[in-house]
Amino acid sequence: MPRKRATKTRATIGLDLLNFFIAGEQTGFGPFVAVYLTARQWTQVEIGFALSLGTITAMVSQIPAGVLVDALRGKRVAVAAGILAVGISALLLVAWPALLPVLTAQVLHGFASCVLTPGIAAVSLELVGHAALGERIGRNARFAALGNGLAAGAMGLLGSYVSDQSVFLLTAVLCVPALATLPFIDAKPPPPPRRAATRRARRSELVALLTDRRLLMFAACAALFQLADSAMLPIAAGELTKQKGTQANLIIAACILVPQAVVALLSPWVGLNAERFGRRPLMLLGWAALPLRGVLLAMLPNPYLVVAVQAIGGVSAAVFGVMLPVIADDVTLGARRFNLCIGIFGLAGTAGAALSTTLAGLLADIAGDRVAFLGLAAAGLAGTALVWLAMPETRSIEAPE
Amino acid sequence: MSRISLIVPLLLLTAATPEVPARPPAPELPPTVMLQTFSPREAMSVLGHPVVEADGQTVARLIDVLVDPNGQPVAAVLDFGGFMGVGIRKIAVFWSTLRFESGEGAHRIVLTLTQDEFKAAPEYRDPEKPAPVVMPVVPEARPGQQ
Repeated sequence: MPRKRATKTRATIGLDLLNFFIAGEQTGFGPFVAVYLTARQWTQVEIGFALSLGTITAMVSQIPAGVLVDALRGKRVAVAAGILAVGISALLLVAWPALLPVLTAQVLHGFASCVLTPGIAAVSLELVGHAALGERIGRNARFAALGNGLAAGAMGLLGSYVSDQSVFLLTAVLCVPALATLPFIDAKPPPPPRRAATRRARRSELVALLTDRRLLMFAACAALFQLADSAMLPIAAGELTKQKGTQANLIIAACILVPQAVVALLSPWVGLNAERFGRRPLMLLGWAALPLRGVLLAMLPNPYLVVAVQAIGGVSAAVFGVMLPVIADDVTLGARRFNLCIGIFGLAGTAGAALSTTLAGLLADIAGDRVAFLGLAAAGLAGTALVWLAMPETRSIEAPE
Repeated sequence: MSRISLIVPLLLLTAATPEVPARPPAPELPPTVMLQTFSPREAMSVLGHPVVEADGQTVARLIDVLVDPNGQPVAAVLDFGGFMGVGIRKIAVFWSTLRFESGEGAHRIVLTLTQDEFKAAPEYRDPEKPAPVVMPVVPEARPGQQ
């Protein structure tokens, strides 16, 4: 018995560290790629193309990657492949910043990210089972936020004082400890989930999932969440630069790091209470914080207060990060489509995020940042209303275990 | 071998230094084509180059050059500010507000405007639309004039 408990503890800590290092590995990608390529004498058109290619890949791969992770017996293999692919992308960016390698890196990274999210969730589910998943996902989110925040700080310093190549070198190096955690997460794979006998039965099972009201509602809520959330930080940060020039850089760093600290603090609480009180109350909290933040950002006179308002964003991020896998598990309970479901939610979210920056940018161009924030707040309000009026409670009172 | 003999070093004192930016000529260059080699001091690459303030602090990066119908530079587009790529603003500044200092090895692009003079300028977004360009500060000009 004690031996078994020790194995369990090792696996728990291993999964903590896996989340930590993967989040750190992912930090360098995103807007920093544009900075890096600019310094490599890339033109704006080429950079725009490379970034769009990454975004499009991340969108179209969500569902195939989910299906792939569902189909794999060993989920840890998928996670390992994802970690390696992100590391290889980083090395390609450092070693060979020409068009073809960078485009390859963007595609590789986009697909790998789509495998990693469901992969980590699947490993977690294997380790703790349905009943304790909320708590475990909360813990995942805590360690991911810590990894993300620390890596952002370290990479910001490296980028400013060493070189921008060193940012991607650190990304590649983080691969090693991330991979090293995997052997410790030694969960006994559960018996293969029941599989419908005939092809026809399987098809009707899939149709039932895809028309499940809970799935469709959460996908819509996720899309509206990202539609409201994604453009807030970039616009607020641009506004800070406008007011304070390069002095704003530290405030912008705080706007990125403080919400991560809030996520790290809050996520386990969100996970626990999602099991205790159900998903809806917490969703209402996280979604309702979006319009509040949008309105506050539109009204704020003082740049330092932006950091405090961004902290509210941490509440939303903690709720979203925990709810997505937990609700995917609620919807697919007992069926084999957990990761497909995460992929569907991921697709809805990334589509909302892509639309967010485009629409808010348009609004900001036509009518100014203030109106753009109010537009984002309106999307958040619509999301909150959808949660309130249409999102069913998905927690099952008696979880079969 | 034959490449080097083709190069006509008009201005260069030392023979081909490693930094010579000239592209290797095509194997069979027509005899009418003259080739001239410029050192980085004489012709510097500016795209992606850091732009510093008078005190040497990096404030921006030069990302594009806007030219007039004669091909003469009118304005430079700069990536300004931000942390890890978040909060960057693209701002166009009049070409003459930049001073190009070529030194041995490292050359610098110095922006003679202060941040207060350009940080709040409207963003340069669309190459197809009229570009808002920050002009040099004329000593006698006062805010509100023009």
